[in-house]
Amino acid sequence: MKIRTAWAAFAVLALAAGGCGSGSGSDDGSGKTTITFWDNNGGARTPVYQELIKRFEQANPTIHVEYVGVPIASVQQKYDTAVAGGDTPDVGGVTTSYLANLVGQQALEPADDWLAKSPVNGKLAKPMLDSVRATVPDGKLYLVPNTSNMDVVWYLKDLLPTPPGTWDEFFTDADTLTKAPDQYGYTIRGGAGSIFQVLAEMYSYSGISEFFDATGKSTVNDPKNVEFLTKMASLYKKDTPEADVTNDFPKMVAQFGTGKIAMMHHNLGSYNDHVKAHGADKIGAFALPAGPSGKRTIVANPVDGFAVFKNSAHKDAAWKFVEFLVSKESNSYWNSKTGQIPANTEAQTDSWVAALPHLKTAVDTLADPGTTVVSPPYYLPQFSSITKADTEPLFQKVLLGQMKPQAFLDTLAQKLTDAQAEWKKAHGG
Amino acid sequence: MATMRRKAVPYLLISPTVALIAAFLVYPIGSVAYYSLQNRNLTRPWADGFAGLENFRRMLFEDELFWHSLGFTAKWVIVEVGLQLLLGLALALIVNESFIGRALARSLVFSPWAVSGVLTTGIWILLYTPGTGVLRFLGRPEAAVLGNPDTVFPAVIVAELWRGVPFFAILLLAGLQGIPGELYEAASVDGAGRLRRFRHVTLPQLRDAIVLATLLRSVWEFNNVDLLYTLTGGGPAQVTTTLPLYVAQRAVDSKDFGYGSALTMAGFVILLFCSILYLRLSRFGAQR
Amino acid sequence: MSAPRSAAPGRRGRVLRLYAPLGLYLLFTIVPFYWMLVFALTPAGSTAPVPWPVTFDHFATVWNGLGYAVFFRNSVIVGVWSLAVTTVLAVMGGYALARYRFRGRTLFMVVLLCTQFIPGAMMLIPLFTIFKSLHLINSLGSLIVADTVFNLPLSIILMSGFVSAVPFSVEEAAMVDGCTRPRAFLAVVLPQLRPGLIAVGSFAFIHTWNNFLFALMFVSRQDSFTIPVGLSYTIGEYSADFGALAAGGVVAALPVVCVFAVVQRYLVRGISAGAVKG
Repeated sequence: MKIRTAWAAFAVLALAAGGCGSGSGSDDGSGKTTITFWDNNGGARTPVYQELIKRFEQANPTIHVEYVGVPIASVQQKYDTAVAGGDTPDVGGVTTSYLANLVGQQALEPADDWLAKSPVNGKLAKPMLDSVRATVPDGKLYLVPNTSNMDVVWYLKDLLPTPPGTWDEFFTDADTLTKAPDQYGYTIRGGAGSIFQVLAEMYSYSGISEFFDATGKSTVNDPKNVEFLTKMASLYKKDTPEADVTNDFPKMVAQFGTGKIAMMHHNLGSYNDHVKAHGADKIGAFALPAGPSGKRTIVANPVDGFAVFKNSAHKDAAWKFVEFLVSKESNSYWNSKTGQIPANTEAQTDSWVAALPHLKTAVDTLADPGTTVVSPPYYLPQFSSITKADTEPLFQKVLLGQMKPQAFLDTLAQKLTDAQAEWKKAHGG
Repeated sequence: MATMRRKAVPYLLISPTVALIAAFLVYPIGSVAYYSLQNRNLTRPWADGFAGLENFRRMLFEDELFWHSLGFTAKWVIVEVGLQLLLGLALALIVNESFIGRALARSLVFSPWAVSGVLTTGIWILLYTPGTGVLRFLGRPEAAVLGNPDTVFPAVIVAELWRGVPFFAILLLAGLQGIPGELYEAASVDGAGRLRRFRHVTLPQLRDAIVLATLLRSVWEFNNVDLLYTLTGGGPAQVTTTLPLYVAQRAVDSKDFGYGSALTMAGFVILLFCSILYLRLSRFGAQR
Repeated sequence: MSAPRSAAPGRRGRVLRLYAPLGLYLLFTIVPFYWMLVFALTPAGSTAPVPWPVTFDHFATVWNGLGYAVFFRNSVIVGVWSLAVTTVLAVMGGYALARYRFRGRTLFMVVLLCTQFIPGAMMLIPLFTIFKSLHLINSLGSLIVADTVFNLPLSIILMSGFVSAVPFSVEEAAMVDGCTRPRAFLAVVLPQLRPGLIAVGSFAFIHTWNNFLFALMFVSRQDSFTIPVGLSYTIGEYSADFGALAAGGVVAALPVVCVFAVVQRYLVRGISAGAVKG
């Protein structure tokens, strides 16, 4: 009966393992308040939060923060399930790309009252606060900004000594840097997340400064945008790898990491990945170039920050924790570890910001009075559905030559125009 | 009394299972059926409410992607399960023989089954991505099997075979162990060769195991989402979108839960119909 | 061995019939594992097909930085419990299906199948509500229950196949010898079911071990997550660390592969069973 022994040993092991740990209840009677914090991008950033929580608990011995790291790919599903099941955290990482949905489900607590009385009042970047307020119909502040991001093109300095200043130069560089059989000037994101990057590229080329015109029609299919997409799509397989058409972020990074691709469009957030693969001195970043008009237009990235949930039983402790996270020191620490733009204006002036070249590029571009920032309609609850499930497959068709850029942009524009009209109607606008 | 008690035995044996299913699965399945008749979309909360058969009308008459994904699902299940069965059976027969290193060979060929979906896709992304992959050593450094509509199907089939074949191999090996040795002896006495013994002893004896494994695996592959979702996202241009992947795109990504429920019900009815038909046609459990 | 011996073995025939296909298949099996190992052991950005220069950074990342030690323990607990409960219930249900012709038998089978027709993602919210009302949310208990419920239908159907493969005459013979039916089952049927138990048990264990969706959705405590959640930490929009994924993969796969290496020996029918039948 050897088998029985084996199973028994296995079972005992499991039961013994079950005996240790997992006994730390949420209210252990020591008078401590426990709040739960969900990180909306658990993983590489977990140690950063663990350090901040350690500092917070030292400063506030009566509060215990329970960290929960949610993988970014599943974070919306996790929130939707939690909201429907009535089991939300006290504080959660939230970005404006799904803020409208959470507010629509009445899951969040506005931060306006807290902010008015808080010492961080006046120290959070105004454009970020405006962007958050513009996301919801009632104009309240449902998330406290922590960081902002900007689209940049990462490039390998070995292959490309001077970055292009205009899109025309970019197209020339992409051509000259491509060498058979497997060295490429550029890589197009064709898989999940493609549409947002295409939008950012098109608007920086066309210089159009609004997503909708005065009549509520989307500007996405403007002739200038079509002209750009036609040029960009023609790079596919000529100056970019064939694999691009299904490449989402992980596959892009895997490919860029091999050093065979000169330029890759993403945002500041992937800085650490590139440093790990290439070394800090080999990698550079430039803001999306200007188009023929010479104007520089930037499509605003979603603002990432913290929200307190309506069901929280410990709102005071929750706000205290949020306040700590966006205070100068914490905000500076978090953003210096991730290489993104701090929301706290005092943190923005820290020396590490200027010392990171990619970040300096981003901050300078945003501060340049000649730069126009275009805000995508994150307030449309359908925006993420339209720019993901609805149109990503169509963009792949454009790359594969099965659909004309014009037809693709017409479809996208129509969906946005319809959603905008429906939203206006629903909100009496 | 005794007969009454005897009659109660099977019910007693299945009662815990029935209780678990009643407690945990009846309500969730019922709720999917309920939502299929509702407008339920987190991105358009103002339009929520009873929809009648509207979701089904849209699905059947307006949604090309529904029909397309259905067609691809059929192709995916038939090719994938067919190949898994063939390779699994071959593998089971091979590791059922005695040879040196059999224990090692068995553990090796069974091991991919133990690898989780997240990891399987991660490994195959690395294998297929030009620059990190295996094709550059076969003289095709630029080949992008996942990006080319012509090669993406074989590529995903192979990746799924890697983790799917061991399931068949294990079940069929266990089945082979159940075949009484005297059947082979009798056949040998009758002068049957290897091939004839396989056809007249092994296959009939394995029939129920094959029918079951094929059925269960088909249902599983039908609803399997993780591999395709991560490896291709259903692309390029939806050529690898199965029905459940389409459900995930609609219900999870686009938060249109009502329509996603209707698509799920379509899958439910199709699977129910096909399973019953399959069990009938294969005369499962018939006395030999 | 029950496998017949070839009349004229012949070395060449054996190579063609056995070693060649097995070798090819082993290659197919091993290459992905090898690739995983290479990425786990080399620094990010390396594209060499051999694990050189070696680094153990990725293992440090997943074990210390991401907390795999805890995830691993949780996965073992959930996996073993689900395996145990599923196997016991599957033997009961499978025996009932295989040995009795009772009213509602067909209906029961169809219901079992039906439970598998709906993807788990569509049932998350109602399941969540049920678990919440039972106060099971945020505990490994919810995962054990959920995974068992989802493993059970297939396990019962599989097990019924294995039970029917054991001739009823074996049981009858034991009962004639004075055994009660339960005793006869334990003494003669169960040993013969050994390969089936292994197959169904591993099925239940592996499906639980690998279940990502439930593990993330029904648990919101860092110290109650399981390995698949940990694996998904490594690949995301702002960080795609394939080295960490591969290292996490080695950690996740190694124990299962080792347990399998031990257990596969029992994929052979009990010797005692042959004696009873004799």
